Amino acid sequence: MPLLKIDGKEIEIKSGTTVLQAAEANGIEIPYYCYHPALEIVGSCRMCLVQVEGMPKLQVSCNTFVGDVPPERKVDGKYDMVVDTQNDLVVQERKNILEFLLLNHPLDCPVCDQAGECYLQDYSFKFGNAHSRFDEAKRVRPNEYLGSQIVINHNRCILCSRCVRFTQEISGTSELFVEARGYNSKIAALEDKPLDNLLAGNVADICPVGALLSTDYIHKNRIWNLKEQPSVCQDCSVGCNVDVFSQRDQILRLTPRENHDVNGYFMCDIGRYGFHRFEEIERVTQPMVRNGESFDALNWDKAIEKTADLIKKSNGKTAGIVSPFHTNESNFLLGLMMNGVLGSLPPITKKEITYQSGFRISADRSPNRRGMNNICGEIVADLPSEIKAQAIHGLYILDDGVDRESDDVWKEILAKMDFVVVQTYAMTALARSANIILPGLAPFEREGTITNDRDRVQWLRSSLPKKGESRADWEILMMVMKALDKEEQTFADVGQVIKVMGEKFPAYKGLSFFRLGPHGMSLNGKASG
Amino acid sequence: MKSNGKLKQRFTFSDPERVEQIFSQYSDKKSATLPLLHLAQSQEGYISNSVIENIADLVDCHSAVVMDCVSFYTMLYTKPQGRHIIQVCQTLSCSLNGADALVDHVTDKYEIKPGETMANDRFTLMKVECLGSCGTAPVVQINKEYHEGLSTQKFDKLLESFE
Amino acid sequence: MNTFKPVLTEYIDQQDCHTLPFYKRVGGYTALDKVLKMNPEDVTQEVKDSNLRGRGGAGFPTGVKWGFIPKDSNKPKYLINNADESEPGTFKDRLLMNKAPHQMLEGMVIAAYAIGCHTSFIYIRGEFYKEYKLLEKVVTEAYENNLLGDNILGSNYSLDVVIHRGAGAYICGEETGLIESLEGKRGWPRIKPPFPAIEGYLKSPTIVNNVETLSCLPHIVNRGAGWFKSIGPEKGPGPRLFCISGCVNNPGVFEEPMGVSLKELIFDRAGGIPDGKQLKAVFPGGSSSAILTANEAIDVMMDFEELVEKKSMLGSAGVIVMDETVNMVQACLNIARFYAHESCGQCTPCREGTAWLVKMLTRLVNGGGKPNDIDMLFEITDNIGGLIDFSKGSFGKTICPFGEAVAWPVRSFVEKFKGEFMEYLPQEKVVA
Repeated sequence: MPLLKIDGKEIEIKSGTTVLQAAEANGIEIPYYCYHPALEIVGSCRMCLVQVEGMPKLQVSCNTFVGDVPPERKVDGKYDMVVDTQNDLVVQERKNILEFLLLNHPLDCPVCDQAGECYLQDYSFKFGNAHSRFDEAKRVRPNEYLGSQIVINHNRCILCSRCVRFTQEISGTSELFVEARGYNSKIAALEDKPLDNLLAGNVADICPVGALLSTDYIHKNRIWNLKEQPSVCQDCSVGCNVDVFSQRDQILRLTPRENHDVNGYFMCDIGRYGFHRFEEIERVTQPMVRNGESFDALNWDKAIEKTADLIKKSNGKTAGIVSPFHTNESNFLLGLMMNGVLGSLPPITKKEITYQSGFRISADRSPNRRGMNNICGEIVADLPSEIKAQAIHGLYILDDGVDRESDDVWKEILAKMDFVVVQTYAMTALARSANIILPGLAPFEREGTITNDRDRVQWLRSSLPKKGESRADWEILMMVMKALDKEEQTFADVGQVIKVMGEKFPAYKGLSFFRLGPHGMSLNGKASG
Repeated sequence: MKSNGKLKQRFTFSDPERVEQIFSQYSDKKSATLPLLHLAQSQEGYISNSVIENIADLVDCHSAVVMDCVSFYTMLYTKPQGRHIIQVCQTLSCSLNGADALVDHVTDKYEIKPGETMANDRFTLMKVECLGSCGTAPVVQINKEYHEGLSTQKFDKLLESFE
Repeated sequence: MNTFKPVLTEYIDQQDCHTLPFYKRVGGYTALDKVLKMNPEDVTQEVKDSNLRGRGGAGFPTGVKWGFIPKDSNKPKYLINNADESEPGTFKDRLLMNKAPHQMLEGMVIAAYAIGCHTSFIYIRGEFYKEYKLLEKVVTEAYENNLLGDNILGSNYSLDVVIHRGAGAYICGEETGLIESLEGKRGWPRIKPPFPAIEGYLKSPTIVNNVETLSCLPHIVNRGAGWFKSIGPEKGPGPRLFCISGCVNNPGVFEEPMGVSLKELIFDRAGGIPDGKQLKAVFPGGSSSAILTANEAIDVMMDFEELVEKKSMLGSAGVIVMDETVNMVQACLNIARFYAHESCGQCTPCREGTAWLVKMLTRLVNGGGKPNDIDMLFEITDNIGGLIDFSKGSFGKTICPFGEAVAWPVRSFVEKFKGEFMEYLPQEKVVA
């Protein structure tokens, strides 16, 4: 292992590591713009220059690789490289580069959406000059749409080319290019071939300044007013890690969170903008019971009592409908409660998309099919036959939350039932057909685990407060089970559900919020199904 | 073919053999981009969107990648030009030897400034950087040919010979 | 007295000197015949021994460059003949292509053989259309005469040569910009490492050599490294094509030994300055070199080392002469404008800095000078390309040497003719 001395600190690092990576891993800040760990190194912004002992000129740390050198070339007889990231020369050089970058940059931080998370702003504050020495006319260009959701503010652009490389290397769609050259260079897309692929939103994330903007978030808020919480996208079975930015009970944007076992640095626009559907749906926020064509509100005690009564009266002839949209814990509890026939709603599948870099949007647009199959024992494939065979006349449904019209098979099933209980957060078509509606939580309100299609269990944290009288889905199920005298145990939190679940399904044994951490854990093929 | 007459003509190379010959010289398709662009421009006079799409198809990449390349080079035009392109070198040796007078001459006589094309499309005037003929300054390139050691008189006569 | 006999341009005044029969008559392709019977390593060694240094501008030892080609790589190797001559003040490669194309081609085959290359490119600047058409003929002729293609001159060695036209970009003369351009992309120079000898064209080992460099090779093979080294200074020997333009009576290309005096070039070969005017300043090595004042120029030897000592460089040996009537501020703007136009736009200091220089100099020329403009010109040039004396850490601010190429000449104008620049500043402030 090569020995690097950086700012006086001795660090042993893997051969082939760059100085920039070594510094980052060891808490030494080297500023940069064009470098991005997922993209090819171009070394053009020149911001990450450092001094390497024995080299006559400053070196870009993003492209300076540390390796073993022969004993006679070691510095001070032991170091494979000695780097200074803080000396006067380096500090001055950063100032110089920043000055160049800011020549034509507008001073519009007060109205810039990047403010608060802008590397130009941050580095200028840390490393730059306080005032401009540029007395000439600035280069001024109007904003342009690069795609339906992405706008470029050319005046803020520092031509780091991250966005161009993203479309060339990650999405492989190559819509973006650099037009012209030198001082006239600008980021562009062809008019008839705009940046409209499903990964387009990422270019706004990787833009280190406020040049590329998602029209979805533009001028909506200031970043420091928002609460940022880690979560997992639930719009397909990949389970991209995300950060949820919210204010009170409203999500304002989602951005990808780095996880090399799942999504790398990126996410797709289906997931990115998917939260908007929660703004449009009719939320269910209190228990309800059917009264002719409409519903009457109930309190929880009554609702649970009524639900348990119906199930009890059915004499074991109630089937449970688990959901690949729900957490493992909710599905597990419903399975436990029913102890009989389990089915699920028709899947939502679209075309699977795999991009050049391997980034994937799964065909299965539900987040937890793998987990549902893992912890529910047998889920019958042919529910209608099973219902007939077992003379089922009641259903307890964990609703997907997807507002779809029932197909003929389902219409037939529903018609035959004496009662239907729907646990849901949205007034879906299915909920409208229920006898009792129990209000659960929406995707970014839930807590628990989900298992993606590559066997990775990830922890969902609730990012938004509960609405109205709605309760956690596992909690509702626990209450129904208690009323059914099914289970003695009271769970104080979802972690206790996992404990019981782990006893029945050993692959899930020992999982906890802390063990899963922010990046989840692989089941390593231990789970069946 | 049904057409409302307004559909833009799609560009195709008039000399497919030459295209094939170009490809045969490179072990990867993309390297053929510049030669194909030269060939297309000599056929069309400029690089239209249709040219870009055609070449992108041929070299197997996105049109934006071809545009990225085209927009970098001064010899590739994305707009139609005049029948004759006058390029006056303005770098130091030519400048010291009277290049400015040549530009002024065209501007005075044909009423076009650098970057402009005559209304009848006869000439497009451009000021360009070093043409690599400093020993015979001032030098003017008209279309593909160099004209060296020009005086205003010689230049004037020369221009007359272009219709 | 000058006893030097031209080597590369010996026959350029003769009719048909560009033809194959003529070239063969004066000993052409005998070196190739000899080389094809040698070990490639021995050819490289001979070139190393000759101390031949690149004639494109950087002056890197040619044999050493070849030696960087990995021996164990099974990837194809490429030789690229850099005929993208674009450095202001330089027009020698065009002459060699017009008058001695077979000499260049023979050099290419020799170099290609030495590095184990079987496909070679001539990257010729797009504007050189006439030369391109001539080279097409020359290459075809060479194929027809078994000088290219399969089993050259009956040997086991085969080589294809492809002529590739540029499309108008100075930066494509930089070897990695050239390679990108050859690959069908914009000519953005690549970050190094990896160097082209390891990963060049299509990620394969690639050597880029200049037209004049390659043209030297047949002579080195025929007459030996010792002969070559005996011409001019030993560290950077050989014949050299000096281009002289600007304010001289007889501009042109003159072949002289390395180390010839600049005075001799200007006043003897190029016939001095018209109308008896005085010499004011000179670019000794293309517009990327720092200018020399008349006093500095008058006793300088045109040699790699000596010009570095003078804080300039031999570069492409393109000498641009400025007489006493030349306005130095305007000349400086002319050069700055060239570089701003040709900056590829990739690196921050070059893209932003060159435009800043042009804006400032234009303002100055138009009478809008401000008191601290001169200080700012120094600062901006230093921030683009560092100081000319290679002092620690002050250069290499950009991916390619373009930063230095603009900073050094512009800085030299301001430094050496500060008085003229001062005249453009508001007068009362100058006194204060």
